[in-house]
Amino acid sequence: MRNTIIKVEDVWFKYNEEVIALKGINLEIKEGEIIALIGQNGGGKTTLAKHLNGLLKPTKGRVIVKDLDTKNTPVHILTNIVGYVFQNPAHQIFTSKVYDEVAYGPKNQGLSQEDIKKRVKMALEMVGLIGYEDTHPHDLNYGQMKLLTIASIIAMQPEVYVLDEPTSGQDHNGRRAIANLILKLNKEGRTIIVITHDMKFVAQVAERTILMANGEIIGDSSTRELLLNIDLLEKAAIKPPQIAQLCIELNKKFGLNFNCLTINEALKVFSQYIKKKEYLL
Amino acid sequence: MKVLSKQEVISFQNFSYSYPTKRNVLIDINLKVYKGEVLGIIGPNGAGKSTFCKSLNGLVPHFYGGTVKGNVTVAGMDTLEHTVAELSTKVGIVFQEPENQLSGLALTVEEEVGFGLSMLGFSRELIKERVKEAIEKVGLKGLERRSPFELSGGQQQRLAIATVLAMKPEVMVLDEPVALLDPIGKYEVFSVLKELIKEGSTIIIAEHEIEELAYLTDRILFLKEGKIISLDNSRNVLSEISKLREAGIDPPSITELTYELEKELGIKFDQYPIKLSEAVKLYSEVLKIK
Amino acid sequence: MSSIGTSLLRRSVIIKETLIHKADPRTKFFFFLWISIWAYIFYDYVLTAIFLIGIIILAIIGKILKRILLSVAVTVLPWMAFGVPILSVLFPWNSTLMYKIEIFGWQIPFYYEGFAWGLTWPLRIGVCITSALLFYLTTNPANLIALLFKLKLPFRFIYAFAAAVQLIPLLVDEAGTIYQAQLSRGLRTDVGIIKRIWNFLILIIPLTLSSLTKVQIRAIALESRGFSAPVIKTCPYDIRFKSIDYAFFIGIIMATLIMIYIYIVYGFSPIVHLKQYLISG
Repeated sequence: MRNTIIKVEDVWFKYNEEVIALKGINLEIKEGEIIALIGQNGGGKTTLAKHLNGLLKPTKGRVIVKDLDTKNTPVHILTNIVGYVFQNPAHQIFTSKVYDEVAYGPKNQGLSQEDIKKRVKMALEMVGLIGYEDTHPHDLNYGQMKLLTIASIIAMQPEVYVLDEPTSGQDHNGRRAIANLILKLNKEGRTIIVITHDMKFVAQVAERTILMANGEIIGDSSTRELLLNIDLLEKAAIKPPQIAQLCIELNKKFGLNFNCLTINEALKVFSQYIKKKEYLL
Repeated sequence: MKVLSKQEVISFQNFSYSYPTKRNVLIDINLKVYKGEVLGIIGPNGAGKSTFCKSLNGLVPHFYGGTVKGNVTVAGMDTLEHTVAELSTKVGIVFQEPENQLSGLALTVEEEVGFGLSMLGFSRELIKERVKEAIEKVGLKGLERRSPFELSGGQQQRLAIATVLAMKPEVMVLDEPVALLDPIGKYEVFSVLKELIKEGSTIIIAEHEIEELAYLTDRILFLKEGKIISLDNSRNVLSEISKLREAGIDPPSITELTYELEKELGIKFDQYPIKLSEAVKLYSEVLKIK
Repeated sequence: MSSIGTSLLRRSVIIKETLIHKADPRTKFFFFLWISIWAYIFYDYVLTAIFLIGIIILAIIGKILKRILLSVAVTVLPWMAFGVPILSVLFPWNSTLMYKIEIFGWQIPFYYEGFAWGLTWPLRIGVCITSALLFYLTTNPANLIALLFKLKLPFRFIYAFAAAVQLIPLLVDEAGTIYQAQLSRGLRTDVGIIKRIWNFLILIIPLTLSSLTKVQIRAIALESRGFSAPVIKTCPYDIRFKSIDYAFFIGIIMATLIMIYIYIVYGFSPIVHLKQYLISG
């Protein structure tokens, strides 16, 4: 039984009188989960995510991070537990060396020079940027810059990672690198929340998916259940990954029960089905 | 499959380009694009897709400098001999970033759509007419008097398309137009493109959304490290699974699945599906479902 | 764009339908120049005060009284409140005694010259600023831009002005995001002055770099839309002189004649003639 690490209790959030961004959000995040947060822009994903490390405080309700109420805890304490990686690397990068960029977080945490060195090495190893310590961040390509921003949060060793659209603007290589990194971090016991529009990516990494629309959570279940729930996805104007679409069409046509999300799953299921048929024939 | 017209609109002849700070971004490009064709461009980041798009309207080389070999001819104009402004009457580019390609001068959507025409000094009456047409085509009717900065990403990209359409270019180029959009924004943009394709527009689109591209394109240009890896009809290019994988590109899921099934079961299919409907048809038969 | 940016954008556009709003921007701009020049020609606090009252009356017609009074309160009154007492005593050109006031047992002389100076200068500045505000607050951005076109300013300048108005709210937005991104890495706000300056750099550098990237993207988009075409750009807005403008110009001409008369008969400082009534004795 996994412990709850973050609890969101009936959270409402208003940007101003006209814009109510969150309407009664209830959510429990357990240690070690990988959760995908999906939905159209303006649905409240980023607003909710920013509540998890105290950047935003609820107008009503509360957010509890490991027994700390975010309303009464300063952000710099919460950032030790919840690391938030913003979508645009340009919004973070301000140093002239990769090493300095990654060292910034641990420096703020008050670590000794020795420990900072260790943390930077560990973080760069994790993302595969060892050897780039003296490189100027702007000499990196976009995918590497993204990895750099994630490394700068890894160096702070938070227990929870919030990644805001880590694959947007990237090619498929970049997407794969991020997926592998997430699985690696999760193996170490980290909890990961990814905001994304990429359903193929969701199917690859997330065990649980939360669908938001108009400031409310309209779906929260296992990724498989959610991505095959055509009615729900249609309501949110989202299409599941192509493999799932294929299964849904075949199921509709022939009353079958295929529930594959990825190519590997479909390969297994389809080839088994065919072999069984041939055997029976 | 669409029969391509014989009328050449774009011609690359031994075209190579190096930026001042990056060498050999495009190497020895030779190709022709025909009127009414939809050409997709795929490739990993750094392959030269963006540079290819920008060499169609002269940004490469006039805006960036650098060194050029060979030439590019678009709608009868040699891009080396004409300014970007002159070429803007023949080629329109829609860029990746919805907000940053807005002019910043126009206070309303209407004015933004007419921006290109005002830059070229057309009369106010002509601009009004063209703007009305373009706004309808991209489905932004009703939003004419709103500020461009209040629109959603999908609306802003459609606005950019409208701005280009109003200039009535012969070729429309889109450089990763949906990379930064949410699902509904992507849907809106692709719907507009489908309409334009139906009307016979000549379109060049660089994208990572390979599954969507399969529905739009006649041919696909596959670039890697500045060189052409393949240039062929969409089905052929998207079916070369190992070549795509080598370059780090994920083929359309259903295409890749079919390739893997072939290997797993030791069978051979006549052709790989690149669209969902084709896959449903194929698998209905293959799984011998009655 | 976030709600902060949107509200900043909206605030700069005040849409009303008064006579002043209807007047051509050229008229209002000319009025600002005209009245400021006359305020400087005459060294006379009563006359300048009359000018200011005239502008306030126009502000009432234009329904922007509150903002004009606010600007008067900020630019004119504080200076007067400080200037008049101090200058009356300590002005280098003081010679004409008005009266003596007893404060704490000392006899403090209040001279006329300083008194006049302390009144006149803030009033002159007030006339300048309020007439400029009258122009700015009653002219919507479209007409402002049209005015710049009519003045035949170089297009690049017009573009810079208009783009600045629209793009600054975006910058403000982005600064907010960068601030949040750095907070997420442990940026501390509860620090001393030196650290705060360092914090400022950590915000300014990404903002500058990100802006430079944006500028480049915008530049290629503009070029691709024919920005550098060597033709006369079509101004999307039309402004025409209406009857209110003609009435106004007639009024200006009459006022100018009156001013010239006063100048010829009474000199540049008509108040001198009233001076004798202020001197004690």
